[in-house]
Amino acid sequence: MKPEWKEWAQEAKAEFPKANSALLPLLHRIQRAEGWLAPETLSDVAELLNLPVQYVESVASFYSLYFKQPVGKKVVHVCVGLSCMLAGSDELMHRLEEKLGVSQGQTTPDGAYTLLEAECLAACDLAPVAQVNLRYKGPVPPEKADELLKEEVSS
Amino acid sequence: MIADAAAKLGIDVPVYCYHEALGPLGACRMCLVQVEKMPKLATACTTAVSEGMVVHTRGPAVDKGRKGVLEFLLINHPLDCPVCDKGGECFLQDYTFQYGPPAGRFEEPKIQKVKDGPINEFILVDQERCVLCQRCVRFMGEYVGEPQLLLEGRGVETVVTTVDHEPATSQFSGNVIDLCPVGALLSVPYHHKARPWNIEREESVCTLCPVGCTTLATGRDGHIVRIEGRPVPDRSWGWLCDRGRFGFDFAVNPSRLITSYLEGREEAAARTTRQVGQWLRDAVSQHGGNSVAFVAGGLHSTEEAYQLNRFAREVVGTERLAVSRDVPGYLPRGLNGTFADIDDADAVVLIGTDPYESVPVVHLRLRDRARALPSLKLMGVAPRSLSRETLRVDTLVTHVGQEAAVLAAALSDAARGHAVLAELVSNGLGDLSGIDGEALAELGSTLVNSEHLTVLWDGLEADVEPVLVALQSVRGDKPTRVLPTWGPSNWRGFERAGFDARIESLTGILEDARDGKLQMLVLWGADLLREYPDQELVRQAYARVPVLVAESLFPPAGHESFKAILPQAGPGEVYGTYVNMEARLQVAMPSVQPPGQARPTKTYVTAWARAMEKPFVLQEDWDPYDDNSGDLVPEESVPREVRPIAPASSAPDGYELITGVLVIENGIPSDFLKPRVPQYPGRISPSDADRLGIRNQAVIKLSREGREMTAAVAVDPAMTPGRIYMPLGLADAPVNALGTGAVNVTVIEEVHSA
Ligand code: SF4
Ligand code: SF4
Ligand code: FES
Ligand code: FES
Repeated sequence: MKPEWKEWAQEAKAEFPKANSALLPLLHRIQRAEGWLAPETLSDVAELLNLPVQYVESVASFYSLYFKQPVGKKVVHVCVGLSCMLAGSDELMHRLEEKLGVSQGQTTPDGAYTLLEAECLAACDLAPVAQVNLRYKGPVPPEKADELLKEEVSS
Repeated sequence: MIADAAAKLGIDVPVYCYHEALGPLGACRMCLVQVEKMPKLATACTTAVSEGMVVHTRGPAVDKGRKGVLEFLLINHPLDCPVCDKGGECFLQDYTFQYGPPAGRFEEPKIQKVKDGPINEFILVDQERCVLCQRCVRFMGEYVGEPQLLLEGRGVETVVTTVDHEPATSQFSGNVIDLCPVGALLSVPYHHKARPWNIEREESVCTLCPVGCTTLATGRDGHIVRIEGRPVPDRSWGWLCDRGRFGFDFAVNPSRLITSYLEGREEAAARTTRQVGQWLRDAVSQHGGNSVAFVAGGLHSTEEAYQLNRFAREVVGTERLAVSRDVPGYLPRGLNGTFADIDDADAVVLIGTDPYESVPVVHLRLRDRARALPSLKLMGVAPRSLSRETLRVDTLVTHVGQEAAVLAAALSDAARGHAVLAELVSNGLGDLSGIDGEALAELGSTLVNSEHLTVLWDGLEADVEPVLVALQSVRGDKPTRVLPTWGPSNWRGFERAGFDARIESLTGILEDARDGKLQMLVLWGADLLREYPDQELVRQAYARVPVLVAESLFPPAGHESFKAILPQAGPGEVYGTYVNMEARLQVAMPSVQPPGQARPTKTYVTAWARAMEKPFVLQEDWDPYDDNSGDLVPEESVPREVRPIAPASSAPDGYELITGVLVIENGIPSDFLKPRVPQYPGRISPSDADRLGIRNQAVIKLSREGREMTAAVAVDPAMTPGRIYMPLGLADAPVNALGTGAVNVTVIEEVHSA
């Protein structure tokens, strides 16, 4: 556990009446600093907020916004929800895999990209939807795979 | 809720996620019903009933809704029912048959997930079959308070798994198998063992601790292969602890007696039986009936105790009958409460006992109460803190042997001047220095002022009995109910059958045996070297009595001393009733035959009556039930006299050995449970461990006045400093060899954990 996490937990808690409301902001802040959320980090956060580890793991695994593995510089999420799938997101994923030379769930050896799938990102009107470092992009038809990879976004 | 109302009326509303004990959630949508004046279908489990409401539980709209829900649930279901243990006992099958679509329209490949992954040693999870109802997750988290299961992920990827993917350690884990409405959570011992048409499922009760949980025993080909919880409407949810659920294999344990031993040699049971008959005959004719004593114990049923009692009194002509006891306390029937007294209590006081360890399912009952009534006063009086993560207990920590005095002091304080109290403490209270005055006052006010007081007592300190009698008299009409947490689990049944359950009878028999006044001692399921609080006396008695005979499930400790050992038929092998800690009679139907040459009590005693040439007919129709008290042992009035308690002795300077029942270690072997039995069952506080130079675990020597025992202890942060805890009745570290109280401690060997 990093010493500053304690302060961050205090600050997050101060903003909400209940400890579990502080969970999401605290996870975000730690992820910004660490790049990802290791299993030990989740246990530490549970301890900091006095929540069951079970609860924290459940919440962290629910959101694709939280990385449970180390990620590359650019994280590309492709929505594989029903609407996006019908609009061709599977083909988009295919092309991205080919271009990057990794399968979904993996990071390129140079650490530049991580390719992940996401369940419905709640933007079906923009299907097929992708995210680059959590910024929404859409519609991204399969032919625009190259452009997507070139997107300049802050990490 | 509509679902409850329908159930009460016998109308079927299908549910997955809803369970009355867990409360509404509305996650699965299986329970859709049509409520007039509501625009859409409503979930019966989350919609409260109201005056004038008209609900349709069937009809085209409802059926279509349910059909749709099932189609969705089955989209990724592997449809591997032919190899699923729940096949034939599954609500997914049942509801699909009743309401489901004949075929799904979804043609994409199904998502594959983990099959037969481990939850722990006893439970497998098939994530593909899970309908995500969350019963298991909520049971462990909210109900038990040990959140070890979780839903991981989102959408179709969601799975049930364990925290950090480590095995779930809760002793209540097995209940999720019963709770899971589909074939997602499976029992390891039952895995691929049988189909519903191969088995006999009989109503039974668990006899492994005094709770006496109601069970269903599944028998196949002469073996019990599964134990499930059996809910009893308005009485019990049917929870079991893992000890009871998975410990059934004791019946086929390799150490189980299935032949007999005569003078140390293996022998056909029929021959040994004849020989014992001859000894009985000789003893009675040469020394009279009272030269033979009988001690009942173990897992015998009330009927068996009754048959033994009649044989002893009528044929042998002895009055020397006792119950095997491992603690000296006794509870008069008149004070004995039921579990409903937990549900009604505004105050619960635990004396010595930690329900989580001694009567596991009662711990759930207490948690249930504490959640329903947040203002519940939950106090403890014990030589260690009884508080746990799952149940906060304000414990007044005493020294060994001070519980009665502390309770009496609290009582005298709060009900000053009551005549009965003067009698109770007429010998003085002794030295209670170090007991916190404020805590004492709070205990006193809880004891006296609560509306409905329920006490759980471990029986380790006999003097608590008069305190409880006095307490009842002080409280008058306000309910004061006590639940005894000690074994043998059916001791009240033995009493009902005519045995004296007070320890004084047993002590008298052992002293007479030691003094050469007994010719024959017959132990019926009792393992006295392991059980009786003073092991030395038992040793002397065994050495002196000319004929020592045992009937038992397992060879008793010190079996070299026995002239004959006969194999016992166990629970679930003969019909029998068992009386639990509520004084409630419950029937266990047999589901298998006794193995090998094991025979029921009746067979032995009738054979002996014949050998003794005495007429003896056992009525088939003895019935432990009573017309007026239903399934409870008949009420008795509470005794009026109160005997004075002994004054508390001063606190010792050094360490104190303390003990208590640990159900997982209660001496009945189980291979399934082996991984759960702690290798270092003793406990020591971190500060004491520090002082002794122990980091994690160690083997230590405990001694007092020439007696000693070795104990394997582990550091336990919850342990109260100054105390060394050892569970009661361990074969290789018998607390009764030393007795509780002050001990000297030396470290023999420190063991570093792997
Ligand atoms: S494993 Fe069973 S009980 Fe748990 S969520 Fe899935 S279906 Fe429900
Ligand atoms: S609590 Fe006792 S009676 Fe109930 S299942 Fe466990 S061991 Fe058996
Ligand atoms: S399915 Fe992709 S955003 Fe909804
Ligand atoms: S039972 Fe009603 S929603 Fe699950």
